[in-house]
Amino acid sequence: MSAIEISNLNFVYSKKTPNEKQALKNINLSVEEGAFLGLVGATGSGKSTLIQHLNGLIKPQDKKRMSVVVNGMSATDRKNLKKLRFEVGMVFQYPEYQLFEDTVAKDVAFGPKNMKLDKEEIDRRVRRALEVVGLDYDKFASRSPFDLSGGEKRRVAIAGVIAMQPKILVLDEPVAGLDPIGRREILALVKKLQKEVSPTVIIVSHNMDDMAQLADRIVALKDGEIIADGTPKQVFCNRNLIKEAGLDLPTATSLADMLIARGVELPRDIVTMEELAKELGASLRKKRSQAVADDNDETKIGEDADGGFYAESYDEDVEVEGVEVNGVEVNGVEDPDGEDEDV
Amino acid sequence: MSEFQIEIKGASYSYPVREGYNVKAVRNLSLSIRKGEFVALTGMNGSGKSTLAKLLNGLFQPNEGEILIDGISTADEDNTFEIRKKVGMVFQNPDNQTVATIIEDDIAFGPENIGVEREEIIKRVDEALEAVGMSEYRTRTASKLSGGQKQRIAIAGVLAMKPDILILDESTAMLDPNGRKEIMDVACRLNRSGITVVNITHNMDEAALADRIVVLRKGRVAIDGTPKEVFASGLIEACGLTLPPITELARELEKEGFEFDGVVINAEELAEGLCRLLK
Amino acid sequence: MFKDVAFGQYYPVNSPVHRLDARVKLLLTIMFVVSIFFIQTYFGFMLTAAVLLITILLARLPILSVLKSVRGILLIVAITAIINLFFIKEGDVLVQSGAIVITKTGVHTTIKMVLRLVLLISGASLLSLTTTPVQLADGLESLMAPLKLVKVPVRDIAMIMSIALRFIPTLFEETNKIIAAQKARGAGFDTGGLLSRVKAMLPVLIPLFVNSFRRADELAFAMDARCYNATDKRTKMKKAKLGFGDLIATLFIAGYFVVILLERYYFPTVDINIDGAIFGGLL
Repeated sequence: MSAIEISNLNFVYSKKTPNEKQALKNINLSVEEGAFLGLVGATGSGKSTLIQHLNGLIKPQDKKRMSVVVNGMSATDRKNLKKLRFEVGMVFQYPEYQLFEDTVAKDVAFGPKNMKLDKEEIDRRVRRALEVVGLDYDKFASRSPFDLSGGEKRRVAIAGVIAMQPKILVLDEPVAGLDPIGRREILALVKKLQKEVSPTVIIVSHNMDDMAQLADRIVALKDGEIIADGTPKQVFCNRNLIKEAGLDLPTATSLADMLIARGVELPRDIVTMEELAKELGASLRKKRSQAVADDNDETKIGEDADGGFYAESYDEDVEVEGVEVNGVEVNGVEDPDGEDEDV
Repeated sequence: MSEFQIEIKGASYSYPVREGYNVKAVRNLSLSIRKGEFVALTGMNGSGKSTLAKLLNGLFQPNEGEILIDGISTADEDNTFEIRKKVGMVFQNPDNQTVATIIEDDIAFGPENIGVEREEIIKRVDEALEAVGMSEYRTRTASKLSGGQKQRIAIAGVLAMKPDILILDESTAMLDPNGRKEIMDVACRLNRSGITVVNITHNMDEAALADRIVVLRKGRVAIDGTPKEVFASGLIEACGLTLPPITELARELEKEGFEFDGVVINAEELAEGLCRLLK
Repeated sequence: MFKDVAFGQYYPVNSPVHRLDARVKLLLTIMFVVSIFFIQTYFGFMLTAAVLLITILLARLPILSVLKSVRGILLIVAITAIINLFFIKEGDVLVQSGAIVITKTGVHTTIKMVLRLVLLISGASLLSLTTTPVQLADGLESLMAPLKLVKVPVRDIAMIMSIALRFIPTLFEETNKIIAAQKARGAGFDTGGLLSRVKAMLPVLIPLFVNSFRRADELAFAMDARCYNATDKRTKMKKAKLGFGDLIATLFIAGYFVVILLERYYFPTVDINIDGAIFGGLL
């Protein structure tokens, strides 16, 4: 079943003024339930306008010709509006700037309250949402959201959306402004949310490495038009299109291109680091075994090492340049050391 | 005078967050930077890097220790503005650092504050806009610009004060990849023209562009060296950071049996190394 | 909710009106605003509208941008109109039905009141549309300079005003973002009584305030870092100089002002009869 069905969607800002701008042009898009869709495009390409149509924050300008249908509900129908908002959870950029209640629990309860759920259900959902985003209920529920660290605030904000248990989760640049560990954790969280809460996920991002790794489908926008739609491999294969859209290629893809230009044989549809490493490893082994065969030598080479990225963990008290790296805790700031996580 | 332009000698800084709680943001930190260096100052959130930046131009005063800019202490009140002229600072949010609606008015703000003559201000505004490649925007309003352009205007506003040192305090954190590139290009160009650049960032690709990386952890210097040394230290993860994607890839390739001379930090280098092994 | 923010937004084109000295514009705007309260007759209103129109054309502003600022006060206009219309009982009765009495004088007063408000706001918005906040602040600072003698922090006041104007678009944009985010969590802003509506705005207002304080902090750092208050001898890149245009503009507005005074005190009978047009068949 299609979770989202958009047809002929156009949107013009500031109609009939000198600032008139067509933000969306003839968008036709259907998203299957269970998809992890990456929406990419340069700033101003229409991504925000598009996602805001999904929960009726922006209404189609022409009800007759355009349609946006989410889980069978038309977004043009005012009756559906409230339900739509709860069906499509939307995490905006820097969502922590929208926290407003005096306790974390109350803030997370805002959505469920608007759903007019009963008190017990609200409480249950708040607990569950905090737990899913990795915040201990007993520790955080009664704290003020304004006293938390940046990463924690963002988790609270995400919990506030998750608590509505939306079937579709839309996230606009969820890792913007976070440090590398924060990024990794939030991306892992998004994956987890898809499994446990919202089966369909749409994520807007500028980071093509993340997109190549996470998304199973990528839709690229340029000046309000969909210029590419397919698996990461299909989309990134069209190098010119990606460049024209003002986007980067994934690191692995651009490195592969550099190698291909230098005469190394590689498939052109490499998008993740793992793939590239595997491919290159294979060619190396091939080359060496050839060399071995040529030399009639029997030495065994090319030991295979496996293991995910980021698998390294380091000892705490190592001395570098005479300065000690120690593990003293600073005022509740969590120590990330020794954590191994896969994205 | 000392051979160093910036000298931080055992500086500590703490501030209260709640009743009875002090965050020790910077702890007995010592660091020296030479004129003309391009330093990336990095570390996870809460490592003290932004606090350190504000210590460098006297926005904060250390509780202990001393910070000297060209031999002048930042604690010396008579020289506060002398130091702020020398140490220009660009902040994170492009929307929160312009004071004027019209771009040229905003760039003139600094020179006007220090009483530069009218003709000289106009000349400086011209040069500053030129340096960031925004000359044609001179009389426009800032609110319509992209994030990268807004930050270039913020840099121009600082350049108009003729600083010797430019501090970018997470100035690229809120920008898209194109905006980041714009800002890093400008920073590299300014560095080549002799300005010392301290770029505070947690983007490792960006850090790898510097001559030297200083990693902070819990208010102290944890690693200090060239990008290669720092990424080879094996301590990056322990500091709550990650390696740049290319370095990460090289490491993955090592598991596949590749060998490189030292740590690889850019794509060009990695491609070279791989070709050598595969041909 | 707040789709277009027009009032106070500088409209960047190069025109003779834009080039006028901010001090002159400030004073002439005050003169214009005062004149509006002297107008007595429809002739006076027509003259004022003509002066306004000429200025808008000279300023190369789209009429729409001026009218947009009027839109912001439509509610006030409507309320004033209703009060005038129903509470003035003098003059010939036009409509009478139960407690409702509408008189000819009431209609005239209402029309004039509406015209006054519209002209007032349009005139005032012309100033901010053609003058950058910095020019405005500098002009104000210069006009208020004598107050420095009695220790009024004139420069800070001017700076605060300029920054406030500069941040209007930023804050509106932010408000819209927060509204969208809270709506996405099912918040409703347009249902219920007044109290529940005010309560519904809290999820927007609280983050807006919190964020504004954060912005203010950052801005303060940025200003300090750029040596704000480094010296009392602050210089100015743009030195306001009175020019020929300023003289012409002053003569133009002063001339208009004199005509309005004459209209009020000497020729109140020189008027245009619009009764036919407005009352039509009623008479």
